[in-house]
Amino acid sequence: MSHLTNILWKEVKELLTGQMIASMLIMVVFFVIFGSVMGNVQEEAISGKTSIALLDLDGSEESQRLTEMVGSQGNIALTVVSAHGVEEALKLAEGYDSNALLVLPEGFGEKIENMDNADVEVYAIVRGLGIMDTMSSTQAQVAISIINNILAQEYVKKAYPDKEPQSVLNPIVPKNFIFIKGAINEGSPEAIASLLMGQSILVPVILMIAIMFAGQMVITSMGMEKENKTLETLLTMPVSRGTIILGKIGGATVVAFIMSIVYLAGFGYYMYSLTPSNSISMPALSMGVIDYALLGISLFLAILVALSLSMLLGVYSQDTKSAQTMILPVTILVMIPFFLLMFSDYTTMPSALLAVMFAIPFSHPMIASRALLFGDYNIVIAGIIYMTLFSAILWLITVRVFRSDRVITAKLSLRRRR
Amino acid sequence: MIAISVEGLEKNFGGVKAVDGASFSVSAGEIFGLIGPNGAGKSTTLRIVSTLLQPSNGSVNVFGHDVVKEASEVRKLISYLPEDAGAYKNLKGIEYLNFMAEFFAKNREEREQMVKRAVELSALGERLNDKISTYSKGMMRKILVARALMIKPKLAILDEPTGGLDVLNAREVRDTVKRFAKEGTTFLLSSHNMLEVDFLCDRIALIDRGRIVETGKPAELKEKYKAANIEDVFVEVIS
Ligand SMILES: Nc1ncnc2c1ncn2[C@@H]1O[C@H](COP(=O)(O)OP(=O)(O)OP(=O)(O)O)[C@@H](O)[C@H]1O
Ligand SMILES: [Mg+2]
Repeated sequence: MSHLTNILWKEVKELLTGQMIASMLIMVVFFVIFGSVMGNVQEEAISGKTSIALLDLDGSEESQRLTEMVGSQGNIALTVVSAHGVEEALKLAEGYDSNALLVLPEGFGEKIENMDNADVEVYAIVRGLGIMDTMSSTQAQVAISIINNILAQEYVKKAYPDKEPQSVLNPIVPKNFIFIKGAINEGSPEAIASLLMGQSILVPVILMIAIMFAGQMVITSMGMEKENKTLETLLTMPVSRGTIILGKIGGATVVAFIMSIVYLAGFGYYMYSLTPSNSISMPALSMGVIDYALLGISLFLAILVALSLSMLLGVYSQDTKSAQTMILPVTILVMIPFFLLMFSDYTTMPSALLAVMFAIPFSHPMIASRALLFGDYNIVIAGIIYMTLFSAILWLITVRVFRSDRVITAKLSLRRRR
Repeated sequence: MIAISVEGLEKNFGGVKAVDGASFSVSAGEIFGLIGPNGAGKSTTLRIVSTLLQPSNGSVNVFGHDVVKEASEVRKLISYLPEDAGAYKNLKGIEYLNFMAEFFAKNREEREQMVKRAVELSALGERLNDKISTYSKGMMRKILVARALMIKPKLAILDEPTGGLDVLNAREVRDTVKRFAKEGTTFLLSSHNMLEVDFLCDRIALIDRGRIVETGKPAELKEKYKAANIEDVFVEVIS
């Protein structure tokens, strides 16, 4: 066994404790349970029936006919309530668990017969303030548009008995195409937006999880070494500083990799249960092997930078507890580009912000994930070169620190400064 | 042969002069004790000899190798045991010994031999299969001493090797040190236990505020200061 594998193996054994494996499993179980519960709730909200109550104050033939037609709609569970006033009807509707109450006022039928505008009062019954609660109450609007549609078709049929009502109501049927990267694709701009959204969320999320886990691992392992003075012993062993640093970084990476995979699997399941299964494919926007390779290199370099940075920060940690907070600067550096890119694009950003973002190495894989879709290779390769230089310089600094007294004394000098 | 030669050694930490012009030398096979009050600079000196810290001034040679310029050569010859050190808590005792032996062993056979030696030295038996986090202070010290000596280093640097140990365990450690010295290991150690120093060390150096104020064989020093024991010598010299 080489010194490197020896250290690497020790790191993995030291970091991957039973406690950590247990907490990982709990997290995954949580994701799976939460994902399936949320998925069910959402499915119900989307495909389940909307429960609507209706109060007919008009009582005309016309209003009764419409009530029946609404009730025969498959996705509406209609309850006709009989009451003397709106308030009484609302109480009844609440008892039936309805999400809304429609009130057809007096004179409704007459207005419809004359093809005048007729009022329908819509009372959304809100029980909670959760997203699902408001979502179901907005579905009361669906009932209105159904009524509108039925009436409009009837009017059209009267005027043009020999025409298909739909083709009169919507004379133009758009066929959507997107012209991008010199190719024509069928689809709408919304489709791109959702594809881009997926890309620009997924890459930073992967990056963030990987960086935070790996960084945390490196710093924790340094904290442990300091706490027990094992670092002092290790540094008197006949093994080079570079091997020690590489072994520690490598060990932490292995553990972080295992953790990321497990968490991502859980998270992926969670996201999958939330996303409706109508995914789009867009040939011109899909990435080729080279694109994926570039993105992979970019991600790898960003993680390497994060690890070297964490290693450097770890030198200043005193024990495992202080190591927990030491990761903060790295996390902030990942969050800045994540939020900047979420709300704007690098092509439209003010130049001062752009400079800040380009200077942060972690921006580059996030930028790359977008730039590659549009074939903008220059910015991707520039980012890769920048990160390579950045990690090389960090590496030199780290080795220097490990050769100096500081790796041993940093803790004390930090305490004195306070 | 000279094992360690320290000349005009100085070490500053910011404004603090931890070692202030210390000079001494240790012959091969000797057990050399560094004694002095708290904060005198013992640990700092040992850390410099162990290549962990770099001298601000002066020079330190270990078997002819400079600890700064030829640090990697020095590291092949030494074994250092820090003051109240621990070990990797999530490893089993036996895993820890294997991990440390790997750095010195040229092959698997040699490593197994080293670990076997450590198993005997530590006398921890079955407990070596338990995680180190479950060890008591005495057990921890035993495995660390065993680890330091299993490689039969040319020079062992032990910072308070019996600190915190009960009488019996401390005696065991002292016997081990004596035995290894007979087999050719040179020892540089620090201690606050004057009885131990008297019994164990071939020569001692008294260090105070970073300076060596006295060196010699325990018997010579007792005679020189007309003292019954080293403790009286210590009090006499330091105050
Ligand atoms: N990393 C450091 N940074 C700043 N000052 C330090 C550092 N290490 C040691 N010192 C100071 O140097 C002096 C000598 O410390 P050292 O640890 O060598 O003493 P010692 O003789 O081992 O003491 P003890 O018997 O308590 O172990 C002390 O004043 C100590 O505060
Ligand atoms: Mg000390």
